[in-house]
Amino acid sequence: MTESGLPTSEHLEHLDTDTIADLLENLLPATEAHSAREHVKACPDCQLTYDALLELSEDLADEGRADIPMPVDVAEHLDAVIRAEAVMRSSTVGVHSLAQIREEPHRHMPKLFGAAAAVVLIAAIGVGVVMATKDRAGENAANTNPTAIQPTGVVSLSTAQIAPQVQKWLENSSTPLLNGSAAELTCARTFAAARPNPVVRLVQPAKVDGTRATVIGLQGGSPRDIEVYVLTGCDGGGSAGTSIYDTTVTLRNR
Amino acid sequence: MTAHLDSGTNPSAQLPRIGLDEPVHPGGPVGYDQLDDHELLRLHVAGNPDTFGILVKRHRDRMWAVAIRTLGEPEEAADALQEAFISAFRRADSFRGDAKVTTWLHRIVVNACLDRIRRRQVRQADPLPEDEDRAAELAGPVEEDAAEVRERRLDVLNALKQINSDQRSALVLVDMEGYSIEEAAAILGCAPGTVKSRCARGRARLLPLLRHWQTTRGGSDDSDLPSKTAAESVGTE
Repeated sequence: MTESGLPTSEHLEHLDTDTIADLLENLLPATEAHSAREHVKACPDCQLTYDALLELSEDLADEGRADIPMPVDVAEHLDAVIRAEAVMRSSTVGVHSLAQIREEPHRHMPKLFGAAAAVVLIAAIGVGVVMATKDRAGENAANTNPTAIQPTGVVSLSTAQIAPQVQKWLENSSTPLLNGSAAELTCARTFAAARPNPVVRLVQPAKVDGTRATVIGLQGGSPRDIEVYVLTGCDGGGSAGTSIYDTTVTLRNR
Repeated sequence: MTAHLDSGTNPSAQLPRIGLDEPVHPGGPVGYDQLDDHELLRLHVAGNPDTFGILVKRHRDRMWAVAIRTLGEPEEAADALQEAFISAFRRADSFRGDAKVTTWLHRIVVNACLDRIRRRQVRQADPLPEDEDRAAELAGPVEEDAAEVRERRLDVLNALKQINSDQRSALVLVDMEGYSIEEAAAILGCAPGTVKSRCARGRARLLPLLRHWQTTRGGSDDSDLPSKTAAESVGTE
């Protein structure tokens, strides 16, 4: 009975699957390979395993040729990341996306004129020292034109800076600003889903008073109002964030 | 050149442009879609801000397949792809024109995935958690595929998750993505013999997990079924 696991050809000691797989890859020493090959020829069961392993490689190759549709949320986030990357590059070289210009013309003129400041700011943020090195030039650049670019990386803020900063970011963006890893975004969305109005306008990795946190902005009761929450626990891929600070900002240009 | 834009009210119509002088549609720049990968990448390197995004859109499903097979977890795959595409964006000028753009991108994605596996191996020795709820998500949107294709895809993703990541990486590269043993060895940073061995042992692990594929594939020879069961018991003894 095959169900009992007994070999059907009891006079043969079967090869294990590892050995047959090694045989197929020519990994066995010559003498062992020879006897294994002879065995496979003589033993229908081992021949079946041999054939099945060959077929498995073909099946994997077939499957490997197929694309897998990227989930919509992953694709949207990736698009946003690439757009942000293009904006950052254009801020340094003065070349602008036609799509960006059409969508948000008001954003680009100040950006071009503030290009020098933007370069300083990008350089500072790029190496992550804007807050650490607190030198006067860096501070001036950050303060005179903080909205020259969209936030990137992990932004350092004090609690008092959160509301004005969020206001500036969102007043300068016609689309939601969703930054951070997919895990952090998922965590932010999970938090948002439990709020009365779960429309996410902003997700931004930040250090708030030195603590790694996630600043999120949700649509408030009116299009002008944004509910801002600072969550901890989202950055490490945690599934739930805890709000440590919240406030509401009103956008002036909506 | 500015005729395509509303030059009366839009000050940015004066901005410098690099790239094709194509009419502008509300949905996005048209014309780029017809360009081949090399041309899109060349325009990107020249400073065009739109063409890299088109390349990403064009190849993301292919790259997603690679990432999800190698990593198994959608979050990890999404993060790896993000890293890979940003890296490709920034170092596009290092692309050598004699290769295919997809080969180049593919390699960057594979390396980003392997980096994550190495980091994960340092962090934790545990295997990936089983998460049945994720399974459906892994296989992509329902409406795009026939049920059979979807089921097969899920089978292979779930089976791949059950073998160790070294064997999985080797098998994905060699059997699924078609790299030669030597190429895979270079990518994985190990000897060709190690790749062969990982592939062999990985196939031996996968075989019982995917055996039902082959009985459905063969179709006509139902008589094989009982003896295949017997052979399986040999493999697992």
